[in-house]
Amino acid sequence: MVVKVKFHSLFKLNLKSAGINYYIDQPISIEELIKKLDNDFEGYFSEKLLDTGQIKPGSIILINGKNVLHIDKLDTLIEDGDNVTLFPPSAGG
Amino acid sequence: MGFISEIDLLRVDLTNRKIKKETITGDKVRKYLGGRGLASKILYDEIDPKVDPLSPDNKLIFATGLLTGTAASTGGRYMVVTKGPLTGTIASSNSGGFFGAELKFSGNDLIIFEGKADKPVYLSIDGDQIKIKDANNIWGKNVNQSTDLLKEEFGNSNAKVSCIGPAGENKVLFASIMNDKNRAAGRTGVGAVMGSKNLKAVIVKADQKTIDYNKDKLMEVVKKHTKRIKENGVTGEGLPALGTKVLDNIINSNGLYPTRNFQEATFKYTSEVSGEALVEKGYLTNNTGCYGCPIRCGREVELPNGRKGEGPEYETGWAFGADCGVDDLHAVTEANFLCNELGLDTITAGTTIACAMELYEKGYIDKDELDNGPELKFGSSESIIYYTKKMAYREGIGDELAMGSYRFAESKGHPEFSMTVKKQELPAYDPRGVQGHGLQYVTSNRGGCHVRGYMISPEILGVPEKLEPQELKGKPEWVKTFQDLTAIIDSIGMCLFTSFELGLEDYNDLVNSGVGFDFSPEQLLKVGERIYNLERKFNLEAGITPKEDSLPARFTEKPIPNGPQKGNLSKYKEILKEYYELRGWGQDGYITKQKLNDLGL
Repeated sequence: MVVKVKFHSLFKLNLKSAGINYYIDQPISIEELIKKLDNDFEGYFSEKLLDTGQIKPGSIILINGKNVLHIDKLDTLIEDGDNVTLFPPSAGG
Repeated sequence: MGFISEIDLLRVDLTNRKIKKETITGDKVRKYLGGRGLASKILYDEIDPKVDPLSPDNKLIFATGLLTGTAASTGGRYMVVTKGPLTGTIASSNSGGFFGAELKFSGNDLIIFEGKADKPVYLSIDGDQIKIKDANNIWGKNVNQSTDLLKEEFGNSNAKVSCIGPAGENKVLFASIMNDKNRAAGRTGVGAVMGSKNLKAVIVKADQKTIDYNKDKLMEVVKKHTKRIKENGVTGEGLPALGTKVLDNIINSNGLYPTRNFQEATFKYTSEVSGEALVEKGYLTNNTGCYGCPIRCGREVELPNGRKGEGPEYETGWAFGADCGVDDLHAVTEANFLCNELGLDTITAGTTIACAMELYEKGYIDKDELDNGPELKFGSSESIIYYTKKMAYREGIGDELAMGSYRFAESKGHPEFSMTVKKQELPAYDPRGVQGHGLQYVTSNRGGCHVRGYMISPEILGVPEKLEPQELKGKPEWVKTFQDLTAIIDSIGMCLFTSFELGLEDYNDLVNSGVGFDFSPEQLLKVGERIYNLERKFNLEAGITPKEDSLPARFTEKPIPNGPQKGNLSKYKEILKEYYELRGWGQDGYITKQKLNDLGL
């Protein structure tokens, strides 16, 4: 099973990477995904996305365009073929 | 000059070439603050709301905010208020840069332009020397040329200029007023009103950079705010690095990035035209800031062909990019430079071309009408540049496009293809994907607009807290609060981007410490509510009925065809009555007598 993770904004510029694919045997949670990312990017993502074990206010984690804050937050399950998109706190207009 | 809570204004009668100084004190300042609020009150008191916006009977007001020129973070802004030619509503358009603060330093909080000059003129403020001067040799020149020529004639390169380009002179209904070359009072066609008065520019140089306010008390508050703004991930890191174009991928990934005149809500080539691309392609040379700004979101850009300028911002990049189906960041940036030089609102310019593209592709515009110009097809980077010039100079079909998308589409028999509210084009968020923001669009007092109550902040970005974008419950109250708070920020002369970190209590602390008022946060918010109701009152008396609190049928009848928000429609009609009720208006959308009395209107 494949999970595609896309980096945008400062994540993309700072890591010089547009994203990463993970091959998984069974659905994993967003929390587990962040642990995998931390292994590959030296703890970068939990520092940027999390604050005392919760999603940092303003951080945006989308599964197929839906914000996980309105699903099961860090417990939201990622399944085969899902696209996960990550943004640090951002605004403009 | 008096204390900051006394407003010193210049009344410039262009018809008779007379300049008079006046002072406003006391209650009016407490009730309307400055900037958008106070200028709206003056406009309401002094003109008939039914006046033809491009006639000498309309007035044009340049208004600094209550805290413009003080130490308040981002406190350099000014507002241009008039009756707008695009919408027929009250029009107020805000700009940063350095002009607003310089105007304040010169001892003039506000300028009211009346009548019409018999030939092109400009206003020159050189300390105490204030004169109406001949602008014959500048008329016809673009914004950059005009600014340079005016400074040369003035004899001081540190003078600040606000002017119109050819689009304003030609009364394009969405012409902007540009200051410091690249900053725009962009929306609502304020530049056309300036052009209709034969007023090319205002140039100002103050003798000293001091104004009278409680500086020490204000500084205590500002120091704390500035620290927070710099530590905030949005205002301290994201905006300086990527500018407003940090939003392209966010809004596209959330499925509400309007594409090809709002026919779709995701754009396949977003990464090619995004804020990240502006950095990765090496176009971005520096970030830049307005007066007193700790955020510095401005983009200094140089294209591979050597052309330099500022931008594009998120809205501009989208209007000429995804909305026209164009994936060429070079062309999009060129179109932005052109708008700055010619003095056009980038949102309406780009989206009017997008509307024309849909009409052309559907067969409602003949090829003959294009006068051998490029075909108006989605994705044509040649078109966005070619027709932007044609609009500014009103040449060929550009003369019709210069009326904005609503009048243009209506003249082709199909106004339904114009994505407007009250004849002003919607910005870069599909209202089918974000319900509170859709309600905000229909109730905005200056027509389709995102900066009268930026509901994208809670509904998509999670600031100050994350709301579910499709939820209806609670949204009317959020919209009302955001609209009233925005009216305050616009009236004190600060940038709306500070609100990504600061809240009502913070703005209240600034006003009270700087001016010596004793508002409670609730009292200050009521000032915002008063301003909002006054603008609504102007519009109702101008003949803009609540029937126009509506979105184009596309958004309530045609679901988003694909992407994360597939199948969604705007449900604003389900919450509009609740919004009216919260505002204390009748079910018919008219303001009740009781509400007017309550607000002292």
